[in-house]
Amino acid sequence: MIKDSPYYNKFFKEPWSYVTGAVILAILNVALFAASGSPWGVTSVFIYWGAWILQALGGHPETWAFFQGEAGKTLANGFLAHAGSFRNIGIIVGALLATLLASEFKIKKIKSGRQAIAAILGGLLMGYGARISFGCNIGALFSGIASMSLHGWIYLVFIFFGAWVGSKLLVKFFI
Amino acid sequence: MSVSKTSKKKKKKVNQIPIGIALLILVIIIGYSIKDLGPKHPMSWMFGILFGYTLRSSRFCFTASLRDPVLTGGTSLTKAVIITIAIATIGFAGIQYGAFLRGEEIPGNINPAGIHIAIGAFMFGIGMVIAGGCASGTLMRVGEGFLMQVLALVFFVIGSLWGVKHIEFWESHFFSKGKALFLPDALGWFPALVLQFGLLFALYILADWFGNKSN
Amino acid sequence: MGKEVKLDCLGEACPVPLIKTQKKIKDLDVGDTLIVEVDHSCAIKNVPEWARKEGYNCEIEEIDDGEWEIYIEKTK
Repeated sequence: MIKDSPYYNKFFKEPWSYVTGAVILAILNVALFAASGSPWGVTSVFIYWGAWILQALGGHPETWAFFQGEAGKTLANGFLAHAGSFRNIGIIVGALLATLLASEFKIKKIKSGRQAIAAILGGLLMGYGARISFGCNIGALFSGIASMSLHGWIYLVFIFFGAWVGSKLLVKFFI
Repeated sequence: MSVSKTSKKKKKKVNQIPIGIALLILVIIIGYSIKDLGPKHPMSWMFGILFGYTLRSSRFCFTASLRDPVLTGGTSLTKAVIITIAIATIGFAGIQYGAFLRGEEIPGNINPAGIHIAIGAFMFGIGMVIAGGCASGTLMRVGEGFLMQVLALVFFVIGSLWGVKHIEFWESHFFSKGKALFLPDALGWFPALVLQFGLLFALYILADWFGNKSN
Repeated sequence: MGKEVKLDCLGEACPVPLIKTQKKIKDLDVGDTLIVEVDHSCAIKNVPEWARKEGYNCEIEEIDDGEWEIYIEKTK
């Protein structure tokens, strides 16, 4: 029985150490940078997802200033031509794969109204914030600092303040 | 261990491993069949899968690395994030130095620094803590079956679109006035690397000290 | 033998299970066991990590796919 094998438990069941994760993620980011010419980022893909959905709903994001030029071409080429979308979906599927191989998948419903509000507010703040600061914890913090860019270090200082304030709000309103 | 367990009736477990193996086969088939969509597609897909698998297996969470020192006093993820940045810096610097030697433009995520970074990072910091995950963390938790993060992802996408709608304002008032500063350009390669690793090392020591102290 | 207290954290996202655990354990007496029910896979890493750092005995049992009980014995 595969579930009783100590190797199965070690590799699929027990969480890997944080340091193992750190080393693998760093190697993957460097490999991606070497292979594609730019480091790992996550959030810019979401712009296109939003724009394609908006188009499907009858909106015209292609007239916006942002989509003149290079971004407009990506938009016009559509979802299937967008390699970055496949990477982000890959993150979801990769996590699902790890969860299933550990036999730990469970749909977790939204428990309360306050959880829904937290998700909505948090999502909006992250989406908007990522646009004006060139990325998220991956694009701006991880890849930005590793690129030795000043903006990455500034990002670190202020996301820490943000996390601080967020923690206070969480404890006060969302628990 | 002396923890006593009043053993309760265990619920019936479903073996999900066969589903996982079927998904693995599907992942390979998809990776192979999307090569016709574009030359970069199979590689992007593969990297996504590997990132997602690693994030989930190690429970790696950038949000927790920044939140836990404040909230719970834990710093083990903070230290792990510092380690991952430090290792990536070595590889990134090699790639960038190669471009520098060939006289090419320096590659990497080098963007204008300025107040917009402070504002955006601050907003992002609040958002990720209350939503229970940042961008990579949200995607990973969608894969784990969290409907809360599915909702967060929907509004993440809406927020991105909202930001893009206002991008002209930020571009003209902030991005254009900010300066994209590559540290080796400003300081020279050797001092920049010393500063970079010096800061990361100092942060690691600080995190380690704080993690032990708050016990 | 102390009493056993259950703490329902099913459906809670990080870091709520850990914060609730930290709060709850303060109300317990030495010798009591706190049973934290969680279905957040990160919690089975950060809750035991915190508990062991505090010096408490801690064990995890998987009770269903993606559902665990974390046993924390307040030893001091």
